[in-house]
Amino acid sequence: MPRLPVITGLGFITSIGNDRASVVRSLRELRHGFERHTFFNNPALAVKVAGTVKGFSFPTPNWRDWRWPDTVQVDRELVRGLAPHGVYALGAVQQAVAEAGLTAAELAGGDTGLFCASAGSPFLLGAFLDQMRTTRGERGNPMGIVSSIAGTLNFNLAAHYKISGAVCGFVSACASSSHALGYAMDEIRLGRQQRMLVVGAEDMCDESILPFATLRALSNQADPDRASRPFDRQRDGFVGTGGAVALIVEEAGLARSRGARVQAELVGWGQAGDGHSVAASHPEGAGLAEAMRRALVDTGVSAGQIDYVNAHATSTPAGDRSEALALHRVFTQAGAHPKVSSTKALTGHGLSLAGAMEAAICTLALSEGLIPGAAHLAEPDPVCDGLDLPRHTLAVQPGLVMNNSSGFGGSNVCHVLRRAGA
Amino acid sequence: MTPEPTPSSGTSSSPVSPLERIRHFPDDVRASFVRYQTTGDVAALDPVIYAILNDYIPNKPEQPLSSFPGSTLLIEGLGFDSLAITEVVFFTEELLGITIANEEILQVRTLDDLRGFVHTKAPGRKSV
Repeated sequence: MPRLPVITGLGFITSIGNDRASVVRSLRELRHGFERHTFFNNPALAVKVAGTVKGFSFPTPNWRDWRWPDTVQVDRELVRGLAPHGVYALGAVQQAVAEAGLTAAELAGGDTGLFCASAGSPFLLGAFLDQMRTTRGERGNPMGIVSSIAGTLNFNLAAHYKISGAVCGFVSACASSSHALGYAMDEIRLGRQQRMLVVGAEDMCDESILPFATLRALSNQADPDRASRPFDRQRDGFVGTGGAVALIVEEAGLARSRGARVQAELVGWGQAGDGHSVAASHPEGAGLAEAMRRALVDTGVSAGQIDYVNAHATSTPAGDRSEALALHRVFTQAGAHPKVSSTKALTGHGLSLAGAMEAAICTLALSEGLIPGAAHLAEPDPVCDGLDLPRHTLAVQPGLVMNNSSGFGGSNVCHVLRRAGA
Repeated sequence: MTPEPTPSSGTSSSPVSPLERIRHFPDDVRASFVRYQTTGDVAALDPVIYAILNDYIPNKPEQPLSSFPGSTLLIEGLGFDSLAITEVVFFTEELLGITIANEEILQVRTLDDLRGFVHTKAPGRKSV
């Protein structure tokens, strides 16, 4: 019998909630996590909204000035090597480990691996390099590298949790943590690991988000209630966010043997490249459509068996259009009409965090019995004609759901998750 | 969250006063540092050195570092590792405005070595 990866623990530090219950409530009630935000203290900038992470504060690069909620346990020895998103990640991992009924010590055996995704910390890297420039290379914070470069998450979490299984970071921009989860599934399916800790995270800092304004990819809407509108005709860009999400993925037999609650089964995944542009998605969504097809083949199900698709749609005009076309090619043309929504309408776009966050939201859909509505959708883009975009969250327990992610360079990743025991 | 201008940052290039840099140290340690600044007496830096060590020691001992014999080895006796040592060196460089070479670090093995080394490197009146 093939080895089946299952999800037994989730942890959330997100714009729509810093724990499972808050996130579920936000999904049910379609409460977004956006606030007005003045980037770089410059009110003249056109971008005015962010998906803020409440209860955390990182006003300077000096960790002594940082604040986080009492519910997050971060000791001083650890925080010195962390980026802001590392602090978020600790909070998320602590929740996931507790929810899975594990102790931190149980992660230390070689049976557990760790796959992470973040873009690093432009906030800390900028400050570190600025200091080196100022001193003409004569002085620099010894923790400057490990706290700021891509990989900082896996460096820190692997050392802190004494992970001696597979440890790796993934860098495919907004598909990064979806790659991490896909390859974590493979580690378990191939029998290389019994358990995987998967973490996606990003700083909620000006330096991580505002650079996307140079690509004209951010919404200029000043109203937090209207800024993120995936698939809407009036959408004008994404709303950036940060945070962290952690998932505990285990081999089903191990989860059963220790009495863990299985929240969802990870039954297949697929990936495909656009082979098209360094930053823009394929205009017809070719790579994403192929990734969805490969995920269906890997799962051994047809398009008609998928009940819900958590779309990547970030609320950019071009990206949402190409995903809608890809969805038509895979589903509409096969006579299939799954419910479709992008929860980025509520959370904002978490970049490297997005894939893990949305896989966790799919897990909530399966385990809590809900299909998230397409929030802020007032006037669907005509390209979406034929897609089933529910305006409100449905109190329905789906059986099979798909999670889509796309990143720079045309990296597309899709997971298929199944209700436990379905 | 908006990262604001960072006059108090330990890692930014903004000028940071020495007293601001040790704002988290106990009052008596800060007072001792002020004494060093005003008199140039490098012996007044000893409590500051212990506070820096206490800040970066991987596992805090139960008794204060100042109660350990001067011959206590930093690595074998107190559990410092190479990373923690580099953090102590960096903080000391920043605080005193000095530069410490790799070869000099290798000569410092005990608490007394460190105190003597800082006394020698720090600008000010040397203790007798």
